[in-house]
Amino acid sequence: MGEAIVITSGKGGVGKTTTTANLGTALALQGKKVCLVDTDIGLRNLDLVLGLDNRIIYDLVDVINGRCKVHQALVRDKRVDEKLFLLPAAQTTDKNAVTPEQMKSLIDELKREYDYVLIDCPAGIEQGYKNAVAGADRAIVVTTPEISAVRDADRIIGLLEKEAIEPPKLIINRIRKDLMKNGDTMDITEITTHLSIDLLGIIIDNEEVISSSNKGEPIVMDPNNKASLGYRNIARRILGESVPLMTLEDQQKGMFKKLISIFSK
Amino acid sequence: MKKQLVHIKGTKEGLVLRLDDQCAYADLVEELSHKVSEGSIDGIVDVQLHLGNRYLSNEQQVELINIVENSGSMQVAKLHSDVIPIIESNEKLITEQYDTYVGIVRSGQVLKSAGDIIVIGDVNPNGQVEAVGNIYVLGNLRGIVHAGIEGNRDAIVAASQFKPTHVLIADSIEIMSNESPVVQNSSEQLFAYLNRDGIISYERLQEVRKIRPFFNKVKGGS
Repeated sequence: MGEAIVITSGKGGVGKTTTTANLGTALALQGKKVCLVDTDIGLRNLDLVLGLDNRIIYDLVDVINGRCKVHQALVRDKRVDEKLFLLPAAQTTDKNAVTPEQMKSLIDELKREYDYVLIDCPAGIEQGYKNAVAGADRAIVVTTPEISAVRDADRIIGLLEKEAIEPPKLIINRIRKDLMKNGDTMDITEITTHLSIDLLGIIIDNEEVISSSNKGEPIVMDPNNKASLGYRNIARRILGESVPLMTLEDQQKGMFKKLISIFSK
Repeated sequence: MKKQLVHIKGTKEGLVLRLDDQCAYADLVEELSHKVSEGSIDGIVDVQLHLGNRYLSNEQQVELINIVENSGSMQVAKLHSDVIPIIESNEKLITEQYDTYVGIVRSGQVLKSAGDIIVIGDVNPNGQVEAVGNIYVLGNLRGIVHAGIEGNRDAIVAASQFKPTHVLIADSIEIMSNESPVVQNSSEQLFAYLNRDGIISYERLQEVRKIRPFFNKVKGGS
């Protein structure tokens, strides 16, 4: 029996979909069987970020309305063999097409076959949010160091704490080291004391995240990227490993290493 | 001899009419109107009505008061009964109780109390605490607080870290902007109260004992 984790934020555009795609891929790379569920009905994106958009035949609403079986709607990601699947959202209808009860029974069905079911939640606190949270066992709240995102995260945490699920965990996305160091954005301790929930991990802002999303290839595939490392660390923490938090400081190179790096060019 | 239903006693505060609490109400009314009409007193005296273990409805209270005052020489200063109905007693219990909330009042959440409330935790921005009585926050107060929501102008708001965005007491509102340097610069524990002019003011928590001395319910101490 697997575990269903909802990835939510309240505010839009902080990186829920990117986080879902990358965490799912990272968990699959660790050998877990993962199913990603896009609940953003009417505004589906997760398929694009994964590069699976041209292979969708059936969607979530088709499954719920009984037009097809679950396995017919699931899209397999070929890059991670037999480990990563996507249940895409419908594009032609809206969030009111499903009810929380229907979502819960669907997620329960998926949990039987998969180790992890990651639910990509739409922005907002309305019907779409209620649908996404209905079947979840755990919740991950994504925020950025901006005050507006933190404020909305606070609201969504308040709502999540009323649900019968484990206390939510926090991911701080898109950290800009220079801004944080100068005090132009909230720093990590400020955010965690304000929201007072456990920090699951941090992702450092990186341009390649955007370009790889546009290519339909999650950044986690690139093992040398800093943001990718952040996602991989979070995936390992979800699996129960204890991984130390990434430091914001760049490693100071010693004199000797500097010399080596000059000669090795 | 028939039992007396109305006893008249003279005390420092004036006359006390002690009304029997065992007899029928109709008998009591009859004897009372008889008693008050036979006395001959110069001027008007204050009287207190002691009802003992009898509960009277509002109409009955008015009736008794009218009987006494119609005599022309007495004025009812006080009506005293040893009993109150359960409903009234429960209401009293609720408004005098302390609610304790352990946790964080987050953005969009509204915490309500029919009495005083103690929040053990933070009140985050856009989080709201409303109480009929006082509000005490053992943590960071950075949201909206409304004490004395039903009009108690004596209510106060106190917090370990006093940085609210809005403070409301009874029907007064204060938006905490840069204009209150006391709050901005103070690292001390503060509380807000309505001063005599009806304006929300701030003081160090130590000053509660001077500004609201009647809050103290603990007697003694060595």
